[in-house]
Amino acid sequence: MAVCAHCLLEMPEESATRETIDGKETTFCCPGCRAIHGLLRSEGLTGFYARRHGWTPGPPESARVPLDAFDGSVRTSGRQAEADLVISGIRCASCVWLIERYLGGRPGILSTRVNFATGRARISWNPSETGIGDVVFAIRALGYTPYPPESLPVGDTLRREASDLLLRFGTAAFLSMQVMLLTAGLYAGYFQGIDARYERLFRGLCFLLATPVVFYSGAPFLRGALRGARHGTFGMDALVFLGAFSAYGYSAASLFLDGEVYFDTATMILTLVLLGRYIEAGARSRAADGISRLVRLAPVMARKAVSGGGAIDIPVASLAPGDLVEIVPGERMPVDGDVIEGNSEADESMLTGESAPVSKIPGDPVVAGSLNGTGRLLVRVVRTGGETVLSHVVQAVEEAQARKAPIQRVADRVVRFFVPAVLLVAAGAVFLGFHGGSLPHAALMAGISVLVIACPCALGLATPLAVLVGTTSAQARGILVRGGDVLEQAAGVRCVLFDKTGTLTVGRPRLTDVEGIGIEREDALRLAAFLEASSEHAIGRAIADALPASRCLPVRGFRAHPGEGIEGEIDGVRYLLGRPELLERFGIAVDGAASRAYAAHSALLRTAVLLSDGSRPLAVLATEDALRPEAAEAVSLLRASGTAVMMVTGDDPGVAADVAGKVGIANLRARVTPGGKREEVRRARERFGPVLVVGDGVNDAPALAEADVGVAMGRGTGLAIHSAGATLMTEDLLRIPAFLALSRATMRVIRQNLFWAFSYNLVAIPLAVAGKLHPIAAAAFMAGSSLLVVGNSLRLRKGGK
Amino acid sequence: MIVWTTLLLIAVSLALGFAAWLLFLWAVKSDQYDDVERPKHRMLDDDPEDHDN
Repeated sequence: MAVCAHCLLEMPEESATRETIDGKETTFCCPGCRAIHGLLRSEGLTGFYARRHGWTPGPPESARVPLDAFDGSVRTSGRQAEADLVISGIRCASCVWLIERYLGGRPGILSTRVNFATGRARISWNPSETGIGDVVFAIRALGYTPYPPESLPVGDTLRREASDLLLRFGTAAFLSMQVMLLTAGLYAGYFQGIDARYERLFRGLCFLLATPVVFYSGAPFLRGALRGARHGTFGMDALVFLGAFSAYGYSAASLFLDGEVYFDTATMILTLVLLGRYIEAGARSRAADGISRLVRLAPVMARKAVSGGGAIDIPVASLAPGDLVEIVPGERMPVDGDVIEGNSEADESMLTGESAPVSKIPGDPVVAGSLNGTGRLLVRVVRTGGETVLSHVVQAVEEAQARKAPIQRVADRVVRFFVPAVLLVAAGAVFLGFHGGSLPHAALMAGISVLVIACPCALGLATPLAVLVGTTSAQARGILVRGGDVLEQAAGVRCVLFDKTGTLTVGRPRLTDVEGIGIEREDALRLAAFLEASSEHAIGRAIADALPASRCLPVRGFRAHPGEGIEGEIDGVRYLLGRPELLERFGIAVDGAASRAYAAHSALLRTAVLLSDGSRPLAVLATEDALRPEAAEAVSLLRASGTAVMMVTGDDPGVAADVAGKVGIANLRARVTPGGKREEVRRARERFGPVLVVGDGVNDAPALAEADVGVAMGRGTGLAIHSAGATLMTEDLLRIPAFLALSRATMRVIRQNLFWAFSYNLVAIPLAVAGKLHPIAAAAFMAGSSLLVVGNSLRLRKGGK
Repeated sequence: MIVWTTLLLIAVSLALGFAAWLLFLWAVKSDQYDDVERPKHRMLDDDPEDHDN
């Protein structure tokens, strides 16, 4: 085997392109790689090969974006032009080094900065010497693909928001440090005595320093409070700003009335809350970046194989299911499909989190966005565009970020009543103070303490933070959760209902037997395979895959009868393929040889289907499906945690009982229609309580949607994933008990957090009303309680993976 | 006497804080906080003519 000197691709000796470099013979996989190698040599950048560690930029990508698409992203100001580009193919720090070095050495390029974390580059150049076209070509020449940044609209606004918060927080932090310093002097003076001139000076300085903090750094809170006030609602913003502003306003008045000043309280409240907001915005912006990276994974162009050999480049959008596409080594899969020809391995880590390549041989499914390894593949398109597993994942993640757990809505409602109540209590504390004969400033301070201590930071953080940590650690364990509400529902699950095919079993049954009745075996197989060519059902796939790729006869009027079979027309004859019930419904008697063969296969625990031309049975086809190795352990773990386990399947009772016996499920329902599965979910709910359904197919969709929690298998059909609340990214059933345990832990943490936040307020507010709590102690207390909530939530990360 | 040293110290502390704040403003505006991943690798890069072959 020869190895390409540039992309490390292994290839047969005879297909290598050779060149003698420095007296040594060097091999390349393609002229593109040879050209890139030559380019790096001539630029003196061969250090790249020493720097990279077992990683490759891959052969040049075929996807191209037209040049004028980049025009909109160029900003010109005087003698300098600048553009932000998204560069795909950056996989390690060496790529960044290479791009920066190479571009930096080009004429007219002023600066190049490539962001490793986001894959974005900011490049500036002198427009009289070079242009965006040269920049794009230069990056392409290195084997990377630049895209205009429009593909990242969400991430951009979020990043701007995070950067704005960082400015406000940083300003507040620097100024409050100065205020603290001066306040420390004032405190020392309070105990040891201080010259009146110094006191006035310190107070005046504090006032000057605190003013920008309140009005610049505190502006988002003021805006939020005003927005809320217009709608008659009070949120956290209002409470934070009131706490800070009352401390500031009171202190400003004291400057002239000779009272105490508490500028440090005002600045510290804003600084701490801004820090929390900044961290949160950063996390959200990173999550959005993750999404846009996923979106960019799928190429925009594909090579469609045309009849008579050869292939043409066409946009992925114009591919249709059933088309054949060619995928060369190192290319990303443009579509979801099945391998027809070729041997390779695929890196599916972006979906499953597992970096080990998965072997791909004819009959195996491939998913859009995964990276093809060293072999050329011919793939039959099953799903494209918005239907692919990749886009479902993207949609699910986007949805997860928008959805709130029901318990979070409760917390929001509580805050709405909480704020006016706190305002009343604060006013009451001031009023009581005055009438109780306290000094005016002591009475006001009691009121401010109430506002500060009641700042519902812990309350506001309690749920979203635990949900955030819970969902991310679920993701680290290979479970994609669609939202906080799913975690909450899963925590209460009392019964787990498994589908059989594709869930407890591997879901790829093999065709084991074809028996023609009055027609040739081969003819029967061919007819059945044509009918099933575009089927998503596992048994259909087994039949379609049993026939080596050959020209397909067109099937007209294809119709699926979920749970029963399919019908379609070939050469003007209407065929039925499915279980005996389907044939009988169409008035075809299943008897004699067909009935005997069907019974014989059922006795052997195989799943058999019948082929008919509309008048009589033509053939019996039998398939067999293997059990997942970890299924039995997952079931026993679930039962150990006190969860009832059931199995529901559309298959025959014989097969069902066999599988159920092997994994240890006593409670099973066989030969259930998709609608019937929904019925079963309802019945199980009445008997045990909330139900979790695990399924993978179109026929499971109603049950998944009906269930309290639906979990779809990662390679399941699009409809199943769409109907489910959670998706297993690795098809490992042990993740189900792990998921339930994690949900329960999350809910436990949420309840602890809420309990803490409420009981803390219950104790602290009366203390503040009584004037026993200095505002600074209140602020420290408040920050401490927020930290406690944060720490408690982070516990959920433990034991991840 | 004491008044002037105190005032001087306050002025110095304010100036230092102000300088740090300006530095911070510049850092945020020029996207220094955008990527905290890459710079730690960058220090390994700038040694041009070795590692070859």
